[in-house]
Amino acid sequence: MTIAAAPYALSLVNVNKRFPGVHALKDVTIHIRPGEVVGLVGENGAGKSTVMKILSGVYQPDSGEIEIGGKAVSLASAYDANTKGIGMVFQEQSLLLNLTVGENIYLGNEAQFTRFGIVNWRDLYAAAKRQLAKVHVDIDPRSLAEDLDFATRQMVELAKALTLEDQVGGGHLVILLDEPTSVLERAEIDILFARVRALKARASFVFVSHRLDEVLELSDRIYVMKDGAVVADLPAAEANIPALHQLMVGRSLQAEYYREPLQRPYRDEVVLEAKGLSLAGGFTGVDFMLHRGEILGIAGVVGSGREELTRTLAGFAPHDGGQLIVGGREVHITDPAVAVDLGLAYVPRERRLEGLVLFLSVAANVTLADLQRLTSYGLIKVAEEKRLVKTWIERLNIKTPSVNTLCLNLSGGNQQKVVLAKWLNTKAQILILDHPTRGLDVGAKEEVYEIVRAITAEGIAIIVTSDTLEETIGLSHTVLVMRDGEVRFSTDAQPGHKPRQVDLIQHMV
Amino acid sequence: MATPFTGPNADRTRRWLPLATLVILMVVVGVMQPTFLYPATLLQLASDTAVLFILAAGVTFVIMLGGIDLSLQSMASLASVVVALTVAQLGYGSFVLAIGIGAVAGLLSGLAHVKLKVPSFITTLAISGVLFSTALVISGERSITLGEADRNYQAWITGSFFGIPGVIIIGFVVFVLASVLQSRTPFGRYIAAIGAGEPAAYASGVRVSRYKVYAFILSSTLAALAGVVLAGRLASGSPTLAAEMLLPSIAAVVVGGTAITGGVGSIWQTLVGSLIISVVRIGMTFLGVNIFAQNIVFGTVLIVAVAITIDRSKIPIVK
Repeated sequence: MTIAAAPYALSLVNVNKRFPGVHALKDVTIHIRPGEVVGLVGENGAGKSTVMKILSGVYQPDSGEIEIGGKAVSLASAYDANTKGIGMVFQEQSLLLNLTVGENIYLGNEAQFTRFGIVNWRDLYAAAKRQLAKVHVDIDPRSLAEDLDFATRQMVELAKALTLEDQVGGGHLVILLDEPTSVLERAEIDILFARVRALKARASFVFVSHRLDEVLELSDRIYVMKDGAVVADLPAAEANIPALHQLMVGRSLQAEYYREPLQRPYRDEVVLEAKGLSLAGGFTGVDFMLHRGEILGIAGVVGSGREELTRTLAGFAPHDGGQLIVGGREVHITDPAVAVDLGLAYVPRERRLEGLVLFLSVAANVTLADLQRLTSYGLIKVAEEKRLVKTWIERLNIKTPSVNTLCLNLSGGNQQKVVLAKWLNTKAQILILDHPTRGLDVGAKEEVYEIVRAITAEGIAIIVTSDTLEETIGLSHTVLVMRDGEVRFSTDAQPGHKPRQVDLIQHMV
Repeated sequence: MATPFTGPNADRTRRWLPLATLVILMVVVGVMQPTFLYPATLLQLASDTAVLFILAAGVTFVIMLGGIDLSLQSMASLASVVVALTVAQLGYGSFVLAIGIGAVAGLLSGLAHVKLKVPSFITTLAISGVLFSTALVISGERSITLGEADRNYQAWITGSFFGIPGVIIIGFVVFVLASVLQSRTPFGRYIAAIGAGEPAAYASGVRVSRYKVYAFILSSTLAALAGVVLAGRLASGSPTLAAEMLLPSIAAVVVGGTAITGGVGSIWQTLVGSLIISVVRIGMTFLGVNIFAQNIVFGTVLIVAVAITIDRSKIPIVK
């Protein structure tokens, strides 16, 4: 019997999943064979995490089948997935730090050690010790999770996932590894990979990582996803980084998509300058200049320091070294309110948390950052507010039933336009766009690009961090590449001089 | 399952339920006791509601923030003691002193909350203890009756203007000012924004800590005003004068439809809630319910009202 004829350990067959305004998964079919490590790669928004959430029972598919050993099943919850032999090791480590290793390993499954409501701790810790041995970790299961380093915690999570073996009565396990290496050092990654390989006899793995080299190293087979669909299924032995990357991006850069013909040269006036800007634990010695009408894209992987840099500029984490000069004056942005007063506006990645007050109306959100200007004798000029908000709704083509509609009820694209309206209403001259098109569908993205082009033509300067390199390159006049908290590369990216993605990637990883 | 509180019209139901409840209660009590609907009785109802409303109006701002002020009744009692002790020497200045102490107590609660990042229910509970002990110590643990001569200073509370009791006018002025503050000023808007989505308010440049402190000052100041008014009405000051008012005040806010989780609410709703509490109280008196048993009802009403006003489909975890 060949491997191919054996029943799959776990499959998704023609799975579809929609969220408001987004078709997140389109007829996705993925098979995981027993003892196989399957890599899953794709850009942010390609659908990897949705696949993982469906496999782990967090989301349910709108249509299509989930099959275990060839039989259709439903995974109603993470617990349900667990009982059917699907374990998870997540990027955000899920150990409870105030509990011991043993308590963590058997959290929620203490019943087997319990008699008359009393837990037999000696049995539990002895069993925990046996689980730890499976992953070759020699620590006291009575130690607190918070006293362990990240790598050991990761191993404990793996040991915890392996307890499912007992539950499924010797059945085959599938363990989902979602960005398990993001907080690990190279040597620790080697150990993790060695353990995973050693465990292939007991379990299959699905491995998601941003680092293509790691995916190539660990996986037997790789699925490439793009825009919610699987675009390739290939043996790792036949894949290489450039080929994978080409598959992930799909089309070559589409100038039209990013409204490149509308991209105007920026002006000479410097509106913001960083000189040796540093933040402990974030970034060091960052230099750049931002000009009127310029779009400065910052590229970098998770941990490169670019996220911290945008947060510093927005006032969430004031810099502790170097100089920041806005409008010719040295400033220290100690609070978002200070940033707003300086004409810096922040369009956050967490749109529904930091971008909007979901339970307030469109009108209240649009004027929130500049309410003082709408008052006379301390009272809000309600009629003028309404009129003003209506002009923004028209200018940015915000689709909302009325100015009084709660932002909760708008689609993601229209929510983002409300955030943009809020900042344009403050007459901010510098916009920090933190993943501005995250979670938006293609049409909404194009509308955002359109707005970005229009406002830069008026002289507003923009700093953007994007989910994709394609977007960074497409939008920007200048691209900085950050790695390990430092700017490693800087390049002109005006029309006609757009760098290729590979030119940037080599400086990113 | 679509009940009136979870279905598509849930928001509208929630908005109108308090007013409908008030009307129904008044009709029920009016049928049982027709004199209840006489103008004189209604004026009495309004007078009785004023102090409760002033307390509730102040704490409405804090609740809309998503916080709570548990120091209301201690502050009101302390204010009554301060007035009783100083009105002979300071005259009208005693009111200013009492209300000023309210502002300072609110400032302290607010600062402890935002600077030390202590939850407001702890800071105001602690401040409440401080205020209560202060009132006990300075009053010599007794009730202080206002002298005949001192009562002239209370005319603005106890007197009538064109047949309308002063206490109603004070309550009405508080209603108008608090309503404008809540619905027409940046302060009111920021309070709602912070309560509904603090991270977004902060990211929009709203000085969140400052406005939180303002809300606590306002709450405590109005509590002190309520104590001053209560001292006038009862012609005495005592460390336990407002002892049973915390629960009804918070119940009034929540019964009116202001969400205990913050963000949603208004002074107008708090007025409706306060009237509901007053009508229930009077109705219970008509029914012969022991006055000391009334908090059994208010406690129950509070829990039911919170259960109805929170839309749990939007709030998965409640601590």
